Amino acid sequence: MSELLADDPEWADVVPIRQYENVNPIAPIFYSEEYKDATDYFRGVLKTGEMSPRVLQLTERIIRMNPAHYTAWQHRYKTVISLKIPLEEELELMNEIATTFLKTYQVWHHRRLLLTALTSIDAAARELEFLKTVLRADAKNYHTWSFRQWILAHFNDEERLWAGERAYIEDLLEQDVRNNSAWHHRFFVVFSSGIRLGDEDRDQMLRRELSFVKEKIALAPNNPSAWNYLRGALEHTNTPFSTLTTFVELYTTSQPPSRGRDEDVVDLDNPPPSAGAQLPAVAALEFLADIYEKEGGDASAKAVEIWKSLANEKDVIRKKYWEYRIRDALSKA
Amino acid sequence: MLNHPTPTDGYETYTSRLQKETEELIKKHRPPHDTAQIELQKKLHFEFLLRNLRQGFPERYTSQDASQPWLIYWTLHGFSILGVGLDDQTKKRTIDTLLAMQHPEGGFAGGPGQTAHLLPTYAAVCSFAVVGRPGDGGGWDAIDRKKMYDFFMSLKRRDGSFLVSHHGEVDVRGIYCLLAVATLLNLLTPELLAGVPEFLATCQTYEGGFCNASFPGWAFEADDPETESGSPKTYDLSAPRPPLGEAHGGYTFCAAASWVLLQPYIKLYYSSAGGSLPPVPSINTRALLRWCVQMQGLPIELGGFKGRTNKLVDGCYSWWVGGCVVLAETLLGVTATHEAVPHEHHEESDEDGQKSWDDADDSLFNRKALQEYILCAGQHPAGGLRDKPPKPADAYHTLYCTAGLSAAQHRVIPSEAREKAVISAWHSSQAHAKAESRHPGTAYAPSSDADREMLDELRKGIFAHAMSWSEEDGTAVYVGGAANRVNATHPLFNLTVTHSDGMLSYFYGQTPPSRYANKPATK
Repeated sequence: MSELLADDPEWADVVPIRQYENVNPIAPIFYSEEYKDATDYFRGVLKTGEMSPRVLQLTERIIRMNPAHYTAWQHRYKTVISLKIPLEEELELMNEIATTFLKTYQVWHHRRLLLTALTSIDAAARELEFLKTVLRADAKNYHTWSFRQWILAHFNDEERLWAGERAYIEDLLEQDVRNNSAWHHRFFVVFSSGIRLGDEDRDQMLRRELSFVKEKIALAPNNPSAWNYLRGALEHTNTPFSTLTTFVELYTTSQPPSRGRDEDVVDLDNPPPSAGAQLPAVAALEFLADIYEKEGGDASAKAVEIWKSLANEKDVIRKKYWEYRIRDALSKA
Repeated sequence: MLNHPTPTDGYETYTSRLQKETEELIKKHRPPHDTAQIELQKKLHFEFLLRNLRQGFPERYTSQDASQPWLIYWTLHGFSILGVGLDDQTKKRTIDTLLAMQHPEGGFAGGPGQTAHLLPTYAAVCSFAVVGRPGDGGGWDAIDRKKMYDFFMSLKRRDGSFLVSHHGEVDVRGIYCLLAVATLLNLLTPELLAGVPEFLATCQTYEGGFCNASFPGWAFEADDPETESGSPKTYDLSAPRPPLGEAHGGYTFCAAASWVLLQPYIKLYYSSAGGSLPPVPSINTRALLRWCVQMQGLPIELGGFKGRTNKLVDGCYSWWVGGCVVLAETLLGVTATHEAVPHEHHEESDEDGQKSWDDADDSLFNRKALQEYILCAGQHPAGGLRDKPPKPADAYHTLYCTAGLSAAQHRVIPSEAREKAVISAWHSSQAHAKAESRHPGTAYAPSSDADREMLDELRKGIFAHAMSWSEEDGTAVYVGGAANRVNATHPLFNLTVTHSDGMLSYFYGQTPPSRYANKPATK
């Protein structure tokens, strides 16, 4: 592909258009000859509106040099539709490009357009599998996650699509409990997107989620992703934070509770911090202060105490914020 | 401050290992004890920007070929932040270059011959704010506002969102870009804004920050306005519109700035008192503030900002998240309060010798620490700024690190006094004429006198609010001393106030009172 279109007789009928005609541009980019050549011919093609197999090749050539060229993607999509190219074929061809340029918006948007046009649950299910391989290489890739969520919502098939998601998330959190993308995905699947098959009993679902997240907090108590999930789950279901006081207090003391004779008697609702836990956990202190603030009255003073210790000792980078929390609480008292 | 590593609880994972490696790298750039020695290498950064502008960008910037207005904006506004003016020849060349990217059907494209897109449209219009002026060759009158409005409307979807381009994706960055441009160019109408607040509200995640888009499909059947049959349907507004993607710094800034820009519209076109107007849409502002401040890294990370929970600090989030804190404060109303703070606490709180909460008018993030991150870790020794060491500098990070430095040095907030002064000088007929006659901005026609009055109120509210942002006297903080001072930048547009004032005044046909007229003379 290093040959220039300018030297290719197949392109002799197209008039290339230079980027800047009568302008001496400020801040120009020093393109390679190949890129300049391809985009000159692309501008020529856009002008005539040509949609042909050679235009497909040309857009691929440009995309491989600059996957963020949204106009090339847009024209490619129109050409694919116009030539009635089998959409699975196009999707297949794009797999390698997606894996190579996975941080580019357009790569994923193109797939979304293709899947929308395909209207096939089979294709959607295959796509979820393909995305697993991509996420194996980059487990927090934003566009990939956002796209996965779109597929689930758009095709919205409980048995073929939604059903496998929780197990997948649990695998990912098993590998890295700090993967915030996986936590967000869980929230998306469990709380934000309607009611999953088997989750009709909302109380039972919430109990399961709380027990899940508490286990993960016990494993690594200074993991903000898990704490944010816990807060989100409670807020989403209008469950008072104070229902978790016993649990949270295990994480606000300096030492993990001693594991003496009672080791066999495990309180499943209140899993204790792991042996390596570094306590108190700042997120637990914040949580407890929120409980006290909500309780009001005499408890407000306890909230203020915690915020002071965060501001002056345990989370000094956020001093101003914790002081604001004190002012805010006192102004409402 | 203490330099404890992020606690790993004796349980290592990929995230904690990466975090640890990063802390090891960054802590080598810890500021010296005498912070007066920390220097912003203005000359080197100036030379970096000048090289890009004059000589151009090396081949690896081919990836930005569809973002050419951004390369120009990052460079020009970088000069403005550093306090560098441009000569007339450079301005003219810039205007010619930008106009080559205006699309015949409205809006600006990523480069000549490309298709129009909301993101480069913002970058181009902001660049015009820096280099342009009214009149022949000044660029401002060459912006086709009528076609731009039509372009905006052609991207609008029924869930209140906008595509970033035809056949493109929905993304709150695009919505921010559209709102910023429509505000600057006096293009806002109730027709354009319908449903936008509701859409933005659906993009807030359980963490408090915002994601890139929400899923509309269950409430709004047709996904693409370009394929709609046009027959009106009823929609199930109670259906879930789940956020796609997790809370993220870039999207959070865009959503929060959009939300602030929309306030005059929300005030006029919604009502909490029932009646014919829709109920006031809401976001969780406290959660937004919490999320923003939680993104500030620990002292061992020099207080730089992260873009997502459990990700790494990166200089560009100095602006996207650091710069978002003041927006959250504004929405919470904490910037407006200056009343005395309770003093009942002093017996025990001053034990560390610090005055704990006397400066209630200060920002709610750590302004000093952020400056230290940018100055000590963000500057590349050869000029330009970066994500973090040992990465190279680039045009994008150079702007968003310097803009973040500016946001940490200066506290620019809405001033009620300024807003009142602007409103008292408001000329409704001129704003109307500017919006609709000489350079027709919109095809929108109010259907009644009452609608016309509302629209007039909307224009006035938007203009006065945008013009009201001012730096509070005596609140600037310069790590390394005043020699490190950079110019203040408008928290909503990321332009200097001089540039946003100039463009706003022209496109609303107003002559606002001078910002400096009412200040007492200082000797």
